Amino acid sequence: MASMTTTPTKPTSFSLSVGRGLAYLVLIVGAVVALTPFLYTVSVSLMNLTEATGGEFLPSTPHWENYARAWNDARFSLFFMNSVKLVIITLVGELAFCILAAYAFARMEFPGKTFLFSLLLATLMLPEAVTWVPNFITVSWLGRISPIPWINNWPALTIPFMAHAFGIFLLRQFFQQIPNELWDSAQIDGAGHLRYLMRIIVPLSKAPIMTLALFGFIGSWNALAWPILVTTTPEWRPISYGLLAFLDESGSQFHLQMAGSVITILPILVVYFFTQRTFLEGIASSGLKG
Amino acid sequence: MSRKFTWLPLVILAALLLAACPAATPAAPAADTSSDSTAADTPVAEEAAASDATSDDASSGDAMASEGACVPATEGDLAGVDPNGQNIVWWHQHSGSREEQLLVLVDEFNASNECGITVEAQNQGGYNDIRDKVNASTAAGEQPAALIVGYQNDQAFYQLNDTLVDFDTFINDPTWGLSEEDKADFFPSFFDQGVHPEFGSQRLGFPPNRSMEVLYYNKTWLSELGFDGPPTTPDEFKEMACAAAEANGDGTGGYILRDDASAVAAWTFAYGGNVLTADGSGYNYSDAATAESLTFLKGMLDDGCAYFFTEGFPNPEFANRRAVFAQGSSSGIPFYESDVQTAAEENSREPDEWGVTSIPHTTADPVQNIYGADVMITSTTPEQELAAWLFVKWFTSPEVQAKWVEISGYFPTRASTEDYLGDYVSANPQWGEALALLPYSAYEPQLISYQAVRDEATKAFNEIMQGADVQTTLDNLTTFANDTQAELMEEVQ
Amino acid sequence: MDSTLVRNNANQATTGSGARIGSYWLSGRRGRRVREALLAYVFLFPAFLIISIFGLFPLLFAAYESTLRGLNRIVGPYDGLGNYVRAIDNLTYVLAFWVAAACLFLAVRSVMTGSQTAREKGETFWSWSWPGVFIGLGIGVAVAYIFRLLPLMLDIPSQLRGAQNTGVRFRQLMFEAWLDGGVQQAFWGSLVLLVVGIALYLIIERAAGHTHHANYMGPFIAATVLLLVAASLGWLTWTEIQKAYAEALEAGEGLEIWSQIVTISAGFFLLLIAWWLWDGADEQLSDYAMVARLGAAAVLLVGGWVLIGELPRIIAQGDKEWWVGLQATVWYSVGTVPTQLAISLLLAALLFQDLRGKGFFRIVYFIPYVAPFVGTAAIFRILFSNRPNAPINSFIGAFGGSSLQWLNEPTGLFQLLLGNSVTLPTWAAGPSLALVVIMIYGVWTYIGFNTVVFMAGLGSIPRTVYEAAAIDGAGRWAQFRHVTLPLLSPTIYFLTLYSVIGTFKAFNHIFVLRTAAALGSTDTASVVIFQAFKRDTRFGYASALAILLLLIILILTYVNNRIASKRVFYG
Repeated sequence: MASMTTTPTKPTSFSLSVGRGLAYLVLIVGAVVALTPFLYTVSVSLMNLTEATGGEFLPSTPHWENYARAWNDARFSLFFMNSVKLVIITLVGELAFCILAAYAFARMEFPGKTFLFSLLLATLMLPEAVTWVPNFITVSWLGRISPIPWINNWPALTIPFMAHAFGIFLLRQFFQQIPNELWDSAQIDGAGHLRYLMRIIVPLSKAPIMTLALFGFIGSWNALAWPILVTTTPEWRPISYGLLAFLDESGSQFHLQMAGSVITILPILVVYFFTQRTFLEGIASSGLKG
Repeated sequence: MSRKFTWLPLVILAALLLAACPAATPAAPAADTSSDSTAADTPVAEEAAASDATSDDASSGDAMASEGACVPATEGDLAGVDPNGQNIVWWHQHSGSREEQLLVLVDEFNASNECGITVEAQNQGGYNDIRDKVNASTAAGEQPAALIVGYQNDQAFYQLNDTLVDFDTFINDPTWGLSEEDKADFFPSFFDQGVHPEFGSQRLGFPPNRSMEVLYYNKTWLSELGFDGPPTTPDEFKEMACAAAEANGDGTGGYILRDDASAVAAWTFAYGGNVLTADGSGYNYSDAATAESLTFLKGMLDDGCAYFFTEGFPNPEFANRRAVFAQGSSSGIPFYESDVQTAAEENSREPDEWGVTSIPHTTADPVQNIYGADVMITSTTPEQELAAWLFVKWFTSPEVQAKWVEISGYFPTRASTEDYLGDYVSANPQWGEALALLPYSAYEPQLISYQAVRDEATKAFNEIMQGADVQTTLDNLTTFANDTQAELMEEVQ
Repeated sequence: MDSTLVRNNANQATTGSGARIGSYWLSGRRGRRVREALLAYVFLFPAFLIISIFGLFPLLFAAYESTLRGLNRIVGPYDGLGNYVRAIDNLTYVLAFWVAAACLFLAVRSVMTGSQTAREKGETFWSWSWPGVFIGLGIGVAVAYIFRLLPLMLDIPSQLRGAQNTGVRFRQLMFEAWLDGGVQQAFWGSLVLLVVGIALYLIIERAAGHTHHANYMGPFIAATVLLLVAASLGWLTWTEIQKAYAEALEAGEGLEIWSQIVTISAGFFLLLIAWWLWDGADEQLSDYAMVARLGAAAVLLVGGWVLIGELPRIIAQGDKEWWVGLQATVWYSVGTVPTQLAISLLLAALLFQDLRGKGFFRIVYFIPYVAPFVGTAAIFRILFSNRPNAPINSFIGAFGGSSLQWLNEPTGLFQLLLGNSVTLPTWAAGPSLALVVIMIYGVWTYIGFNTVVFMAGLGSIPRTVYEAAAIDGAGRWAQFRHVTLPLLSPTIYFLTLYSVIGTFKAFNHIFVLRTAAALGSTDTASVVIFQAFKRDTRFGYASALAILLLLIILILTYVNNRIASKRVFYG
């Protein structure tokens, strides 16, 4: 919006401050709504049993030991490492494959383009529950004919998520907005499609690519039903399984449950906090010239 | 320049293909993924088998029918089947400290059994997760674990694909089976719960433990209110609950309503009825017992002597004196105990004395709803099946059962287990109280549709509590249940 | 299916790149086109390999499975449209009829559009029908091949029990399945058709010479495939109707399938015309014509509604749970999508301002989406508990309101607002309060997601555009209205589509937040499907429901695209 450029037009200081005040009001109200459940989560996570189930708002004294208990009881350290490994493997494949495919759809001409794109969209539309059994069959059979097993191993947990309609669709929307002139001038410089993609499109699309990476991270981190189905030992099970098992086990001990939840949320927040900077730079640098 | 970039993706692709799906490796060593998890452990198992040959162990005692070395039988159906050195995977649902101590128990078996069998107990989430997994494995031709845990109606589902093995083959085997005394030692009703008439009366499940629907009550609070014991009849029960509710004065205090289908069945039993038809082939929720008991509970709710707590298990409410009565499975006893202790410590007061009793009944003797999951053996190689049975046999032997009872708080399924329990009963009076109720048992349906019917029964309970006409709602429930059963059975044919 | 096509096209190109004609194919303008297409397929290959296996195979599987019966059986007995009839009764036939008709229409339109373009450019058109039809038939037979092979493959696990469950046996059975007579027939038949089609294509391409001209094979391939779909669906429906009549005759009942098909179809047809009239009304030059059109539209609308008045009666004969589930799904979608998009757009726009502490807000809004739903749903259960001393109820109590049942309340929202004085019919009572809480949870969660995507979209708008607008004297609102919104339209389109699909498929948090006390009022279509699939293991029935849901989403997507195509602007 206007304030992005600090071009001094003619907004009076009055309307500026009123606008600003309104903006802050909206933002603060939004923040309160977004945060309240979490503040309550953190608050409950520091309570003892009596307070947690008694509808209190604040703990009388913070019980930090709840976190230690949750961490140890749920074996979070193991699941944490598993999730980190899975997230990294998934993200590498996801970014590579989605970027390539999205570029093809956004910038290249080939027979069957519309048809393939509608097929892509169709895969979005099937409810997840009915995909688990066929996909389990596939994964099991792929494991039988490949040298490494898929079940109880990283391939079953990562490869199915390395390409998906959402990512391709999202990136295509952004790639399409990049002006054609850039392609023309790249061609004059002798660049082919791959070079143009790597040198021009990807740097210009940092923001959407980071967005996709972030969503991939979250999806991978929070995945639950599928990992439980394709693993039988804790060896490759992700952190969300650890949380669920812990929630089940701790029955109605809300304070421990909430401590466990906070533990699983924190890594994502940290990742977001740091990528956010790159992400913002990406957004800032996408402001194209010309 | 651009040509180079044209080829680059092809190279990447080729690499990817090699990594992801190289179908062209015909004799891959681990190609048979079904036995993967066990194959990986083979060296360990052999080691165990080797060390076991010399070690003899008194504690395995009568778990093994044949004394001495583990030799294949020479007669009967299992002739020539050698269980030596088998690795068995067990998919179970036990978590937390129960799981930790279960693993210790399993290690004991692994170290002591004469056949060098190694059992690996793996938690697979809850009952539903195990079910999904077994079904998915069957669909994909993947071998599920040799030993799995599940309810009786799951057994019916599995057997539609011939996934399970008939326990009678093992139980009646002269070499590996159970003696007549052993068989008689099992509570007959538990023992026969896994027998399925619709599948040629095969015994598809075996009972490792059971639980019971019980009423938890706060002794200390009741005596403060002037009552000298737990209620036995609904009227006494209501009087006490109302007194406690009045004492709290904020809607809490009385009885926490439980809307589970098992609770509906439990109350029906306590009022002298049944939710199954006499021949066991269909459902009947329409009888007076169900209607009267639910009308009674609705009355308690309307009078403010009962309330709903839907955010989790009711033990913390009970522990914090927001309910004088709560209802649930006897397997919750350890959790009630720990919550009562915690609540007392947190509020620096003496812990309340509490107890466990039967559901208030109009019948002369109590009739208690007993339930619990079975273990099942999946069909694999005869060696695996036999080895799995030997573990089940060991696990249900009285002294191992006694240990399992102490770990889990479940009920044993064999009468002589009590001999080995020692001072566990005196140390856990509530558990003893519940155990005393074992003779008064009744069971919920095991029909294939019961999973769906449970949801509908829970819904009907809620509808009634929200003011729907009792008889109409129950009639609808009966119709729905029988229709669903018919519909599902129609699909089976 | 898609991989066939990809391979097919790749074949077509590699065949062409043989030594002799290589220079002809890979040089010049045409060469560049061929190379670009080749490269595009290479780019698409890894993604489409994965998507075909894990996204499209489940689709084919569901389509196949939906025609079967049986509990916990992957390959159960064949039941035709039986599962669909169980779900939506005779509406099945109406639907199948209309899908077939739509395929027919699209086939004709595809050829008509192609021929028109060719005529305008003065190029040959009809000769392309030869390779087109052959390739289309080839694709059709390839699909038949898949559907013949699939049951044989899926039956392999049942032969792999116990001791026979080895890798060698598995591969042997796979090979045996592939050698089956019918499978072989379809496989080679499809191969021959495709090869002939490609050969014809090459001949025509050569005959056309070096002059630049368009390739009109696409419309013919599409038309052939669509005609095949229409024919097989029509045939299936026809046999199923005959069967239903035969059964009814045996049972001594009458059936009204045909009359229902006719009346309901006529009703929908009138509605379609009404919509078309309405849609084109503002293009009319004279007011008179416009008013006439609108009037006609209104009349047809009423007529259409009267004719489809039969619908509720049919609905009542289908699966009640399914219809209730669909209704809840619609409420959920209508209640959440516009709300969350509007709020996120506002927040994203504000966060793009030069405001202090926007970094903080950016993190804050994102937390709900980031947090595992298992944890946040647990918190919502406590916040919106029915206990009088639960957080939300105490908050209401502080303002003198009385406690509500929240997640335990099955009564519709509008009914609650009206009180007990009036009793609304169930469809008008609105979403239950329990569902409203779930909607609040949905909005609360997905605002973060939408805001981030909006922000990425805003980041892609060149700031020079704003500078230009500012120089032109556009105020903030004008800039937002005339610069931001149009340039953001691809993002808005994407998010709308994705959210609508997402809400129709939403499952996890709904399942976690449902209570027995809500009496099933929160069970959306995906919950019903889940229960049929997992709890009852009725794979066939659940697949049929999933396909129905897919059809609904497909129609919504189509409508969304129709609306969007007029409004989305790619800079």
